[in-house]
Amino acid sequence: MTIEATTPGKETFTPGRFGLKASEEIFMATFAYYAGLKAAKEEGRPVIWAYGVTPREIFHAVDAPVFYLEHVPFLLGFQQIGSHYMQIAEEHGFSKDVCTSHRCFIGCGLGSEQEREPILEGMFVEPDLIIAGNYPCMSESKAFLCIADRYDCPYYFIDTPINTWGKDPPDYAIEYFEGQLKGALDFMGEHGFNLDWDKLKETVRLSKQILLLFKEIDELRKAIPAPMSSMDGLVTALLLIQVLPPSTVITLYEKVLKEVKERVEKKEGALEEEKLRLMFFGVPPTFNMGVLDSVEKYGAVFAKSLLECAQGGMFDPSGIESFMDPEKPLESIAYRTLVDLINPTSEAMVNYMVGAVKDFNIDGVVAVVKRSCGLIPPYLRQIKDAVYKETGVPTTIFDLDGLDTRDYDDVTTRINLESFIETLLASKRR
Amino acid sequence: MGTIDIMRDIVENPQRIIEDWKSDGKKVVGHRCLYVPEEIIHAAGMLPYPTFGTPEPITKADSYFQPCVCEFIRNLFDLGLDRKFDFLDSLILCNTCDGVRHLKSMWSTYIDSVPCYIINNPQKMYDESGFKFYRHELEMFKGMMEDLSGNKITDESLRKSIELFDETRRLLKELYMLRKRDVPPISGSEALIVSMASMLMPKEKANPLLRQLIDEVKTREIENADGPRILITGSIIDNPALIQLVEDMGGVVVVDDLCSSMKYFWYETKPNPDPMDAIVKFNLERAVCACMHPSQQRFDYLKELAREFKVDGIIYFLIKYCHTFTYESPTYQEKLEEETPTLTLEVDHSLSGLGQLRTRVQAFIEML
Repeated sequence: MTIEATTPGKETFTPGRFGLKASEEIFMATFAYYAGLKAAKEEGRPVIWAYGVTPREIFHAVDAPVFYLEHVPFLLGFQQIGSHYMQIAEEHGFSKDVCTSHRCFIGCGLGSEQEREPILEGMFVEPDLIIAGNYPCMSESKAFLCIADRYDCPYYFIDTPINTWGKDPPDYAIEYFEGQLKGALDFMGEHGFNLDWDKLKETVRLSKQILLLFKEIDELRKAIPAPMSSMDGLVTALLLIQVLPPSTVITLYEKVLKEVKERVEKKEGALEEEKLRLMFFGVPPTFNMGVLDSVEKYGAVFAKSLLECAQGGMFDPSGIESFMDPEKPLESIAYRTLVDLINPTSEAMVNYMVGAVKDFNIDGVVAVVKRSCGLIPPYLRQIKDAVYKETGVPTTIFDLDGLDTRDYDDVTTRINLESFIETLLASKRR
Repeated sequence: MGTIDIMRDIVENPQRIIEDWKSDGKKVVGHRCLYVPEEIIHAAGMLPYPTFGTPEPITKADSYFQPCVCEFIRNLFDLGLDRKFDFLDSLILCNTCDGVRHLKSMWSTYIDSVPCYIINNPQKMYDESGFKFYRHELEMFKGMMEDLSGNKITDESLRKSIELFDETRRLLKELYMLRKRDVPPISGSEALIVSMASMLMPKEKANPLLRQLIDEVKTREIENADGPRILITGSIIDNPALIQLVEDMGGVVVVDDLCSSMKYFWYETKPNPDPMDAIVKFNLERAVCACMHPSQQRFDYLKELAREFKVDGIIYFLIKYCHTFTYESPTYQEKLEEETPTLTLEVDHSLSGLGQLRTRVQAFIEML
């Protein structure tokens, strides 16, 4: 299946290619989930707008329909229409320094009904409550203010401490974040979403199962040839940041796992002859995922991307067994969030990147700079240096805003990719 | 030499303060931003030293940080790479923006001459669990300062430091309150110099100088005070040139709500039998930074300032890529404009492009 650009008059790029049937299902389930929010609203149920990596378990535990805002720019990006909403935000005074992801959902929120294109209109619901946070980036924390004003919504802020402790956050930090989650649950309770404690425990149990499945899929991706395409990797990860029922996510991941297993057993990869294994770091060009497939003509494949993790489970999966305890649901979620790789400071991420480059047999890392991002660009040099020092693998870094077509230069992107690959191949031949 | 000139000299040549302090064998602890409790550093017998940037263009840091990282952060890192901060015995940061968070990692990786530490302050105000969390963080920080200085911090020494720093805050506020007059006694650019010098100096020396200055300017009136009264807000402006530009264009800057001025001293520590709790609450009950929640307190505070100082126009200076303030600015602009015309301007920390700014500021002032 390919995704077609659906907006007449918009510049069209090459959509990404699904290699797995299950990816298509995930993609459809994702759109269906958002479309379902409209039905919830029509039934009179309040809808919550939340930041992209709010622990989804708290919403399952109160059975809340949630619009995960940072998901939306990706979905609109796939359709090549995200920039339209960024422009609306800019017309409301938001600087182009504001993250394109945030500008996109701010534009969705501030735009009029007439300004919403059919795809967005099909899933857009006005918020009744807002849950904001400062994780993984601090910019996140104020991106909702204007939305809360516009819709006159009750607003709750979850404060997430940064990880200055490595894998052993102290009890007082875990307690603090547990308290933040309890506060969010109380806040939702005040607005009609009652907590079912047993459901929370059950959700954490299922979350653990989801994460273990994700880990198993991720392990299989170490295989040579790489069994998943870039698009598969990205879409598979989308499941981690939305609130599809956990049982649905498990079913979908089981399908992914089955397909990937079969491919690995048959030594079937995204490419017939794999010469180079690449790793992608940053937001890929959602509106032109095909550019990542274009490296295949050189026998190169993106065997791993950090975006999968950035989409909501960016922790080192090695510890899942011990820290996800359904009997201590909030504590488990707190621990997972605090040690998440994307939670600054950057030491954990740097270490993970070094390990992943080794484990996935990566030949080169492609890191892109989204200029409006405050989170990732500050430490790209650190990653580049650490990866090279520990593994000898080079990293190329170039500008690419994967959400905003207006700032995208297809020719330069291709040249950047191709010249890096040619250098890697030349180096391999020596 | 008048007191303001003495203070200008301190801002322009801060190394004299350092040399003087270090000649007694005492240590200097650099810090950024406002949620680093200077009182704890002082109670350990060390000099808290706020790190300001320079207007020079960034050179080495640009090969470490992407150009889309806040220029002020890159400027500090540049100075660190150039070993201009080697006189510091430690650099203490706090959790106020993504740039500072990553400055910690980058500094620890690439600059080994000055050890760097970050305090994990919450960003939620008036939250009991946040008080508890922050108290733990500050206890760790206190222990670190004791180790670094070799001095034990007692409740008594901490109380004395709090009183000393509050005295600086009171004096600076007293001076700033004089600017409510129809003809203020000091200009905006002078006020910034006084604030920055008071932040840099040991408070034992700053306080007598401030008293002297207040006496000196009580009967003073600035020239050219006929223009519109301007409130300047934003994050860090550590060079008076920007304020001077507004004044050159005919604006009378009567309030400057900046990290290098009012945000530092407008609030005082509330009495508390436990000095550590006093510091915790001081930091988590004042909305001086855009990183803090809820935002309403800062809106109200700015509106109140505009009323109290009879302001005709507000200029919101945004340092390029200063995300937290940039995110807030459209909402702020809309709310502030309900009462006072407001202009938002993106500026480079290095103050490049002043000519273009001049035109926009001039147009705004002419409109008021």
